Amino acid sequence: METLIVPGTLDSLGAIGQYVTRATSAAGLDKKAAYKLRLAVDEIATNIITHGYQEAGLEGKLYLYAAIDESILTIFLEDTGIIYNPKQQILPQKEELQKVLDERSMGGLGIYLALGGVDEFHYERVGNRNRNIFVMHRIMV
Amino acid sequence: MEITIKNLKDIKVVKLVGDVDASTAPSVQQQLVPLAELNSKILLDMTQVPYMSSAGLRMLLTLYRQTSAKDGKLVLVGLSEDLQDTMSVTGFLDFFTTGTTLEEGLAVLN
Repeated sequence: METLIVPGTLDSLGAIGQYVTRATSAAGLDKKAAYKLRLAVDEIATNIITHGYQEAGLEGKLYLYAAIDESILTIFLEDTGIIYNPKQQILPQKEELQKVLDERSMGGLGIYLALGGVDEFHYERVGNRNRNIFVMHRIMV
Repeated sequence: MEITIKNLKDIKVVKLVGDVDASTAPSVQQQLVPLAELNSKILLDMTQVPYMSSAGLRMLLTLYRQTSAKDGKLVLVGLSEDLQDTMSVTGFLDFFTTGTTLEEGLAVLN
């Protein structure tokens, strides 16, 4: 698919969601897998925009690219913000997720949903870019 | 995101239409939190919310805390299977009173 380039602001989340939905339709993913991939990309994009750009006082764009081959759909999400590896963030543990809501901290919940919703997730730093790679299997194995 | 708020006797019925993500959740929260007054009954109709990210969970958590703090009641209705999945894996679902339809939600609050 064509690359989607959008400003690194929260207003871009709608366009990102639409792009991922087009990719999951083209790849023929089932409804549940399609939703989880959209959620994963949206959560990571939100973190890049808020932590990688806004809180760091930086501006930049988000670059999305979808690749479909016979067995997998891969979404590449790149940005030029500060080095930000979702896999190195602290995720909520089971005890935290079982706590009553009054005692919850919300930290890491988005990344927890993102990493738990895709078949594979990879992160690379390439030059001045962060590259997040989301993989969904097209055929049940 | 469209938000409509109606009063049905003592119940505040809030209908959300659209996606709840990090770009829309803050405005939803801003409009809903003031509804949590002493003993207020709030019904949140999410039948037409096809998508909700963790930003929506954060909004729900704030609303939940505000209503509990004021001895109010909060009921969510019309959660899609996808939204229920998100709330379930994060341990949110069990803490909320939910219903399938608006009528069911109203019955719980009445």
